[in-house]
Amino acid sequence: MIRHLSYFALLGTAAAANFTVERMPNPAGVDPQVGGVDVLPDGKVAVVFHRGEAMTFDPATKTWSKFAEGLQEPLGVIAESASSWLVMQRAELTRLKDTDGDGQADDYETVFDGFGMTGNYHEFAFGPAKGPDGSLYIALNLGSNGAGVREEIRGKWSEIGDLDFKQMIHDNEWGKRSVKAGRMYSRVPWRGWVLKLSPDGKTMTPFACGFRSPDGIGVDADGNVMVTDNQGDWRGTSPLHVLKPGGFHGHPASLVWQEGWNLGNPLKLPLAKIDAMRVKESGRFPQGELANSPTQSVVFPKTWGPYAGQVLIGEMNQKRMVRFTADDVNGFRQGSLIPIFDGTDLGNGNHRIAFANDGTLWVGKTHLSWAGAEGLVKVAPTQVNDAFIVTAVKLEKTAEGHSFRISFSQPLPSVNSIRLDRFNYLYHEDYGSPKVDEANVEITKREKIGDGHEWRLTVTPKLGAIHRFDLGGLKSEDGKSLEGKSVYYQASELP
Amino acid sequence: MKPLYLLFLATAELPAADPPAQVFQMNCSACHAVDQMVVGPSLVEISGIYGKDPDGFVKWCVAPQHKREGAIEMPSMAHLGEPTLRELHKYIIGHAAGKKEQKKADIDPYAVPAAQVRRPQVQRMFLPEASPAAIAVALPGELSFCFDAAECRLRYVWKGGFIDAWSYWKGNGSSQAKLGGEVIYRESRFPLTWPIAGEELPPKFLGYRVGKDGLPSFRYQRGGVTWTETIKPLSDGTGIERQFELDAGKAMTVAAEKAAVTSTTGSVAIPASATSFTLTFRWQ
Repeated sequence: MIRHLSYFALLGTAAAANFTVERMPNPAGVDPQVGGVDVLPDGKVAVVFHRGEAMTFDPATKTWSKFAEGLQEPLGVIAESASSWLVMQRAELTRLKDTDGDGQADDYETVFDGFGMTGNYHEFAFGPAKGPDGSLYIALNLGSNGAGVREEIRGKWSEIGDLDFKQMIHDNEWGKRSVKAGRMYSRVPWRGWVLKLSPDGKTMTPFACGFRSPDGIGVDADGNVMVTDNQGDWRGTSPLHVLKPGGFHGHPASLVWQEGWNLGNPLKLPLAKIDAMRVKESGRFPQGELANSPTQSVVFPKTWGPYAGQVLIGEMNQKRMVRFTADDVNGFRQGSLIPIFDGTDLGNGNHRIAFANDGTLWVGKTHLSWAGAEGLVKVAPTQVNDAFIVTAVKLEKTAEGHSFRISFSQPLPSVNSIRLDRFNYLYHEDYGSPKVDEANVEITKREKIGDGHEWRLTVTPKLGAIHRFDLGGLKSEDGKSLEGKSVYYQASELP
Repeated sequence: MKPLYLLFLATAELPAADPPAQVFQMNCSACHAVDQMVVGPSLVEISGIYGKDPDGFVKWCVAPQHKREGAIEMPSMAHLGEPTLRELHKYIIGHAAGKKEQKKADIDPYAVPAAQVRRPQVQRMFLPEASPAAIAVALPGELSFCFDAAECRLRYVWKGGFIDAWSYWKGNGSSQAKLGGEVIYRESRFPLTWPIAGEELPPKFLGYRVGKDGLPSFRYQRGGVTWTETIKPLSDGTGIERQFELDAGKAMTVAAEKAAVTSTTGSVAIPASATSFTLTFRWQ
């Protein structure tokens, strides 16, 4: 069943961009919760599932064939070729190889398992993402005090914490002690870290820390590693981080594994100290408004016209995805998060995403008992080169102070309808945050640059705040409405 | 007409306060259905708890706790603010009015009848009495075993069905699978020993190969040697056969605690010249 649905068609205005959304059949007898998606050069889709199957989907025949099975909670795949897949599962990064050419993997090679496991359910393992030099990046979740640890663990136990090992072991009384564990915890190595592996997997470098539930690791067009994390403790709302090698990205639990760590329990450090140590967010997704659980990030290919080179990010709870356009300020990469696919039939649970060479976007859905969906979905743009979108937002210093320079894919006669406000979320140990420091932002001048592809808005920005542009009223010169009607600019730096 | 006019003004000038239906859709609908438990309780159940207690509802939404066994904790809805939460409360009560809770059956929709479980089969899974890096293997016949990838050794063998992992698979993995039978053999350490000179590196798991017969051959490094171990059932069900391939020989002895062991080398003292041998373990 193919549904051609357009946001703009629904609104009864001229269509600027269309997307077709088509649900694929599920493989028979397989729990169709998708942990990883990649596309092979021939267009076939490599998919790994919740219960450990690795399967190939042939879009031409809409049939599935099994490549491997028996994995535990695979949450990412890179198909190096039809006969060699890298899969991240709970306990290790594994290379699945078909060495005898029968189409099924016979070698399950352990590429890297040098990280700890307590048996806590929340210790998911994500990735791999591949850097331009072939390095692999994996991201490791913290444990959650929704449960304790198991009696047998893998890896070195950290004594840092209010509960000792025996007290951390899950039993019927766990609920009475759990608050002392920390909302999320890192009691074995590299929980809350992103690790960098040499292409052969033999050399591991701890790359960056400070993550909570980094179920979204990707590499942008410039080779930067990007991670989305989930709203929760120390995450007032879900952030996007462009990783700083060696950097601490905000959730303190993982700091105990930093080389030479000697400051005791990081959860007990003064807030101001922790705040000063952290790498700030490159983008933030307002909870319940833009996205609640952002996931994997991938780069839009050339076939996506004005979107090319930007970053597409999946989202679990809202029936959309989000894209990111970067702005480098004072050497720090921050930028704008913009909704995409609003009003289409996409649905929620958008967990894993991959582009095929022909530009087809494959979306794998899951929920794992949280909010989400199931199955494999194909999204294709139509007339994408005609899409009327925001392509960039740059915060600049001007003689009068500051301005936002907004670039569009098509010229506009006017931007008088743009409204701008700002708000923030608290950085603190509590779970989530109310919106704080909300205010309208006055646009004191609106200048057309050149033919109207670009406009300069003179404003007084607020350091650290999310600046929300309401672009719902904009029309291109030929009357199109904008695809992506809000822009959330994270001003972690001011020029 | 007047309320509509006001709404129009509001949307034209400011980001409007969203109507409760939209707030529900954006913040709640992914986890809460009208009349059945999805991720969280149904509106019917919420209505039963907080119908006459809007204050309690707001308090819970701002600072939720972990209340239900097997369910996850709701994230705080503090970002919505109290006035919106009070509107949401009314919306939920209204939607639940007159509806009844539908019970969902707790049955694995993908379960295979015990007699049809494929053997052999390998499934990595959280298992009891093993490290979190455990691997369950169903052998042909009635035996299954747990291989521990963290310790690089056989942990135990059980007889009967394979595993029931529904409690793990139905959620996010906060349970161990149940074994489909009684453990009939257990090892507390690697069954081969050798004199240790100096410090020995901890064992390292290298993965496994699945043969044409579907049986896995585990590979690991231990004691400076790379091992390949393939475990097969004895046809009479009284034990297992373990084929070992080593990349370099090593003088060793078999030290099994609860099994009688015979070796293709003729003796349980394995000479350094033997790089390929099979040990037969019969339970005692």
